[in-house]
Amino acid sequence: MREITFVEAAREGLTEEMARDPSVFVVGEGIGSRGGNFNTTVGLYDLYGPERLRDTPISERGFTTLCTGAAVTGARPVVDFMFIDFLTDAFGDMFNQMAKLQWMSNGRIKMPIVLRGCVGVFGSNAAHHSGNYFPFFLHIPGFHLVMPTTPADAKGLLKTAIRSDNPVLFLEHKGLLNVKGPVPEGEHLVPFGQAAVRREGKDVTVVGIAFMVIKALEAAGQLAQEGISVEVIDPRTLAPLDIDTILASVHKTGRLLVVDEDYAPCGVAAEIATQVMEQAFDDLDAPIQRLNGAFAPAPYSPVLAESVLPGTKQILQAVRDLLAE
Amino acid sequence: MAFEVVMPRLGWNMETGSLFEWLKQDGDRVEAGEILFTVESDKAIQEVEALESGILRIPPDTPPPGKPVPVGTLLAYLVTPGEELPFVAQAETAPAQKQTAATPSPTRAVPVTVPHMSERKRPAVSPRAARVASELGVDWTPLKGSGRTGRIVERDVRQAAAVTPATEETLPSGVRVSPVARRVAHELGVNLEQLAAQMPGKRIERADVEAAARKVVSAAPSAPRMPAPAATGDVVLPITQIRRITAERMVASAHNAASATLTTEADATELVRLRNQLTSDITQLVPSYSDLLTKLVAQALIEHPQVNARFMGESIVQSATVNIGIAVDTERGLLVPVVYDVQTKSLRQIAQESAAMIERARSGRLSPDDLHGGTFTITNLGMYEIDTFTPIINLPECAILGVGRIMPKQVVVDVEAERVAVRHMMFLSLTFDHRLVDGAPAAHFLQTIKHLIECPWRVLV
Repeated sequence: MREITFVEAAREGLTEEMARDPSVFVVGEGIGSRGGNFNTTVGLYDLYGPERLRDTPISERGFTTLCTGAAVTGARPVVDFMFIDFLTDAFGDMFNQMAKLQWMSNGRIKMPIVLRGCVGVFGSNAAHHSGNYFPFFLHIPGFHLVMPTTPADAKGLLKTAIRSDNPVLFLEHKGLLNVKGPVPEGEHLVPFGQAAVRREGKDVTVVGIAFMVIKALEAAGQLAQEGISVEVIDPRTLAPLDIDTILASVHKTGRLLVVDEDYAPCGVAAEIATQVMEQAFDDLDAPIQRLNGAFAPAPYSPVLAESVLPGTKQILQAVRDLLAE
Repeated sequence: MAFEVVMPRLGWNMETGSLFEWLKQDGDRVEAGEILFTVESDKAIQEVEALESGILRIPPDTPPPGKPVPVGTLLAYLVTPGEELPFVAQAETAPAQKQTAATPSPTRAVPVTVPHMSERKRPAVSPRAARVASELGVDWTPLKGSGRTGRIVERDVRQAAAVTPATEETLPSGVRVSPVARRVAHELGVNLEQLAAQMPGKRIERADVEAAARKVVSAAPSAPRMPAPAATGDVVLPITQIRRITAERMVASAHNAASATLTTEADATELVRLRNQLTSDITQLVPSYSDLLTKLVAQALIEHPQVNARFMGESIVQSATVNIGIAVDTERGLLVPVVYDVQTKSLRQIAQESAAMIERARSGRLSPDDLHGGTFTITNLGMYEIDTFTPIINLPECAILGVGRIMPKQVVVDVEAERVAVRHMMFLSLTFDHRLVDGAPAAHFLQTIKHLIECPWRVLV
């Protein structure tokens, strides 16, 4: 199978969906003739022009709410925030209108809108351009949230997101953009709510969030040489979350570590830990461990930025500690 | 202070770049803002200006032009006039600076110590361990936790049940089996799930398992022809698990090992004298001849490590410890419990251990661990008035020593003087695997045993 980058794969998915459905259009800063700061729309402006690739001024609240209206009236907008941090300007109407209109209209109104952007501490992008913000969308009814970690999943999940009639956060970790991987040609849809077991093991379960899956796999490879068998799970979508795959793994291993570079309080790791505790209490041989990023805004200095993130070394130690419990 | 000049990131997605050309030379004075070098990245050659003023110092091991390097790679320094060249010193301190930087580190939940540990009446136990304990019928309250916080965890429960997950039969929930019954069922080949189905609700105990075993008539290991049917008056017995295992092991040994048996007759008079002296001390357990031989044979094995060996894949492993199995005839059949680390044990310890193990063997209480890990076996048929025989090697061991009876005999003690005496003589039969060790070394080994028997005090030196 041919290997392409994460960015190319997502773009292929977007290209196919725009060709398939003329109501799909993209809105964002620099996504027109420039092709997107992260190359998300390269080549599409030449195909469809300004009608379907709409450059915007720097006013996230404005253009996001416009797209909420567009979705309500029958279009399928893809809002490209570039850095997901900018989306925070649009929270008000996202939480009050976008998330609630389907309920408030008793299902008559659909909200087929994709909100995409890059997340994660990477490349010295510093405090304003390194956010993750997952828990906000897991906490509000009405949103779906997907974070592919492989190019194949980037294509498959974006296509599913565009076809969904719900608001979907499509979050791409900056560290993954240039990762290459095998991507099926043509129709390739990845359903929501299906985790992937990236590595099978029997001694401990490690759930990785976004880029942390890569770190967890590195650690698992090293631990295998010490005779420790680690099962690495990539949830792929956080809302809906495939808790059953995680529960089955914990039933096998009895020990769980969740690695998430986002902050600990009320985070994804806390949610997964609680669900596992509720549904698999008697399968636990040790308390569930979380490994999160330091509770501070992302630093600019590369040395400091590395030190606030859970790295392979921290994961190795956390797994060894967990097995000692 | 020296300013580091590094490969810059000239685009959001730029990961690597190569130096194209230095536009200033080593030792040149550079002003901030002047173009210092050019970089070739994916698209074009781009100029990079100096961000500080200073004297340009290019280290000898700097990446050469044309070589792609990661963004951030050190290329050169801009130093103030008169400053020391920072090359070596800087490299050493840079990592230390990383470590001492007071930065917040990734947070993780602090490992919880078991709260109110000292006030607890019962030890802390993980939920999984409690569940497994109830499934295996183990009482976890007296166990000691191996968990870091002192908590009892699954592995502690499984150890207590003396059943490993690989061999354990997972039973449907609700079936209760005593740990003894579980072990005996495993030894006798009784299917616990089927047995439980026959007596729903009952906690299965050893007597239930043994009763079930007597009813079972299992198929014989593959035979080329059907044997003649039983006639009236014949006694038909079930093939027990232990019979089946013994049969399989014996035939495997016969087929795989290149067995040859050496015999020699040892003068055991001193050994008999030694044992009589030990017998006179009635306060201590008297070592048996097998115990004495175990001690002597261990010494011989230390001196002949190639006999204390086994095949392992493409290698031959000479064991660092001497673990001697002692063949015990029991009601149920032949069992060979192992005394570990004989080379470190005194005769008294060996005697105590072997007595305990023989007792456990006869009452059916040996654990799987007692029966594994041997490096040599001793089998004694002297009590049946046997002299020599051809014992069968207990694979994967290299050799087995068969011991005959101790018989007073008239032997020549001085050929020149034509003098005879009555001595206690004992035959030794050593079967060895010619694949692992040759005849001469095996013979030498047997000779060492013979000499140790004849002069047992040699074990002290």
